[in-house]
Amino acid sequence: MEKSKNIQHLYWRAGFGLNAEEWNVKQGLSVARCVNLLFAEAKEASQVAANTPWEAGHRKRAKKLSKAKKQKIRARQQELLKTENFNWIAKMAAPDSSALLEKMTLFWHGHFACVFKYGSTAINQLNTIRTHALGNFKDLVLAIAKDPAMIKFLNNQQNKKRSPNENFARELLELFTIGRGNYQEKDIKEAARAFTGWHIDQDGKYYFREKHHDFGEKQFMGQTGNFDGEAIIDIVLQQKATAQFICSKIYRYFVNDIPDEKRIKTLANAFYESNYDIEKLMRTIFTSKWFYFKSNRGTKIKSPIELLVGIMRSLKVEFKEPRTVLFIQKALGQILLKPPNVAGWAGGKNWIDNSTLMLRLNMVTYLMMATEVDFKVKEEFEASMRNKRMDKIKATIDLAPIVDTFAKLPEDQVFAALGKYLLPIEVTALKNQILPFTEVGTTPKSRIQLLTMWLMSLPEYQLC
Amino acid sequence: MDRRKFLKSTGLASSALMVPAFLKAFSAPSIGGSRSGKKLVIVQLSGGNDGLNTIIPHRNDLYFKLRPTLALKQNEILKVDDELGFNKALAPLRSLYDEGLMSVINSVGYPNPDRSHFRSMDIWHTASNSNEYLSTGWLGRYLDSNCDACDTSYHALEVDDSLSLAMKGTKNAGFAMSNPRQLQRTAKNKFLRTIGSHAPHHEEENIAYLYKTMIDTQASANYLYQQSKVHKSKVKYPQNSFAKDLKQIAELITADTDTKIYYVSMSGFDTHVYQRSKQDRLLKNYAEAMAAFVKDLKSNGLLDDTLIMTFSEFGRRVKQNASGGTDHGTANNVFLMGGKLKQKGFFNAAPKLSKLDQGDLIYEIDFRRIYASILEDWLQTDANAILGRKFDKLLL
Repeated sequence: MEKSKNIQHLYWRAGFGLNAEEWNVKQGLSVARCVNLLFAEAKEASQVAANTPWEAGHRKRAKKLSKAKKQKIRARQQELLKTENFNWIAKMAAPDSSALLEKMTLFWHGHFACVFKYGSTAINQLNTIRTHALGNFKDLVLAIAKDPAMIKFLNNQQNKKRSPNENFARELLELFTIGRGNYQEKDIKEAARAFTGWHIDQDGKYYFREKHHDFGEKQFMGQTGNFDGEAIIDIVLQQKATAQFICSKIYRYFVNDIPDEKRIKTLANAFYESNYDIEKLMRTIFTSKWFYFKSNRGTKIKSPIELLVGIMRSLKVEFKEPRTVLFIQKALGQILLKPPNVAGWAGGKNWIDNSTLMLRLNMVTYLMMATEVDFKVKEEFEASMRNKRMDKIKATIDLAPIVDTFAKLPEDQVFAALGKYLLPIEVTALKNQILPFTEVGTTPKSRIQLLTMWLMSLPEYQLC
Repeated sequence: MDRRKFLKSTGLASSALMVPAFLKAFSAPSIGGSRSGKKLVIVQLSGGNDGLNTIIPHRNDLYFKLRPTLALKQNEILKVDDELGFNKALAPLRSLYDEGLMSVINSVGYPNPDRSHFRSMDIWHTASNSNEYLSTGWLGRYLDSNCDACDTSYHALEVDDSLSLAMKGTKNAGFAMSNPRQLQRTAKNKFLRTIGSHAPHHEEENIAYLYKTMIDTQASANYLYQQSKVHKSKVKYPQNSFAKDLKQIAELITADTDTKIYYVSMSGFDTHVYQRSKQDRLLKNYAEAMAAFVKDLKSNGLLDDTLIMTFSEFGRRVKQNASGGTDHGTANNVFLMGGKLKQKGFFNAAPKLSKLDQGDLIYEIDFRRIYASILEDWLQTDANAILGRKFDKLLL
């Protein structure tokens, strides 16, 4: 009883929930075994992530290219960006990919938030993140500082000895590492000098442009030296406040919106002592007793991506067109590869506003209507609630695993069992309101389908 | 399964649509609510608009010296007086200015300015000091102190999918909506209405918040949709999303909607590189949309009851950077528009470029003095209570 709740909790926080088949399998495993499995799968997947082909020449001699040619490249790259968005969501939803690695990648994507213009730079940055997502935090920060898309996004290409541009240095300190209140304006200026010349070359690869680098002496966070960018990162990571800042963010993302300062401090000390080993930190969290406390379960509001991917996993949704998936993300307020700004998505209650909440609550209904389940509702469907865009969703869903799993039970046990699989909070109090809505189903199987839809429409389903 | 039965079960079939909307959406309003009621519209320019290339000190040598390639040329400036002029991209605003429908307040800011977008925006939203962190916004606190009897949250409406911090109070919060029609449709789901009317009590904060938002929305969506259909604007607005949002607001105001405060944003002003073309395009979109909005309200006789304030989280550094752009700065101009401005035109003198603090403008007017004036003189409430301390009002 308690164990199945813990497994559900673990897979929602460390991944995107389980489909019904996985749910059946994991019931036979211990929680510790599940944690080990998650990390083993992630390790394997992160080693596979290789560099993807760089579309050669999209910056090369850009000035010499004709306007038409440039437009063509831009259009192709925009298309690639949409495809990558679609592919990433599909990857998160695929049962055979590493849920933990993708969840960590999603977390770091929001942390090192970068708005992409080119598809190929997005693919490369995501692979860079995957490589280090559970590795060492310093390696990750350094790789991000040299990442072409980030260099472009935070204007480090314009950061030159003669005219430093502070944009990257400011965000490095404020958002990526140590956080506000732990540095002075002067530190930003000095850090900016250290990152001068960290540019990209004609092929769009990281390149240290010596003649634009300021080799002079810098004073940064109380230390003096001829620091370059890497030295700045080292100094920032020497500050315990950096471990504290990162652990606090990870705690709020993976455990609870409300930070527990004592636990965070313990985590931060260990993270610092481990020389910023991310895997170790995450293992500590997922094996901690307090992670499974009732006060930490069902308290997080799913991000739109978590919600969407979770639905895709449970209902085996396959979208036929990237633009549908993009439209849903836009309507729900979170578009992958397009964070609102360098601070990433604010998360928590910020996901929920009047319009977005109603859309989230209706999402599964829309999907069921747009696809062909048992009931073909589309042709004669003239109700005015119909959402034109949603109506055009081209997708298939497969409810067989859920139906097969839960039809085995006596019908009076289905409500509780399905609720336990789909929801982190009990909804027994609503049973009498919910069940009448399933009564139009003429067979036990169709009643399970309807019950699935309604349980996934509850406010409780918005939580994990 | 029978599809009619299915439709009926979802509450989406047309026969199920006759369910009356929650009646409380039509109950007597406690604030605003009549054509004579004052309306406040807040326009946010996100990213830090460069005020010096918006309102140009065209006789100041320092401006041209510090911005060798970024300064506007004399023929790109619509000169208003000996000191100041509009960026040519703001041509539509120039005529509002001439008609006395606009006021420009220069050098607005706050002590110890913060150059982070997020922090500075929060300071503007919460009306805090720069070393103080508040979790409620100034308009949210207005709702808290003036909206005790409010049943619904659309007394303050943000035309967006998400609600700004400015609109969040402790007890009350504004309403966020980008498309009334879509909202009304999603709020009709009969299953969710049933659940809403049997909502279980929850202690945990997030689940309680989800239920509260769902119930609020179900109660308001139909009213707002009906209101959005009452009046169709006859004024031609430009084709962009900001203009569309303003049109939505004009239609709701004209329909005498029980909403007192509207909030709308436009983004893209963070011009670190190649600023000229980017900012000019943004300013043009802004000016055209605002001109249409003002014209719309005026033609319906509603401009005298409307006050529009435009702000940005900070201005930009006086000296241009090496990338043809500007970095984050401090004090900036604030625009007011409306038919009842007490002080039309330039409210105060041009910013002093000869006296900078680390290359940045020094503020002369604390933005909270503008808030105080709006709260006291326009919304007729106790500003001290909402702002937490006394700020000298301005004659706006």
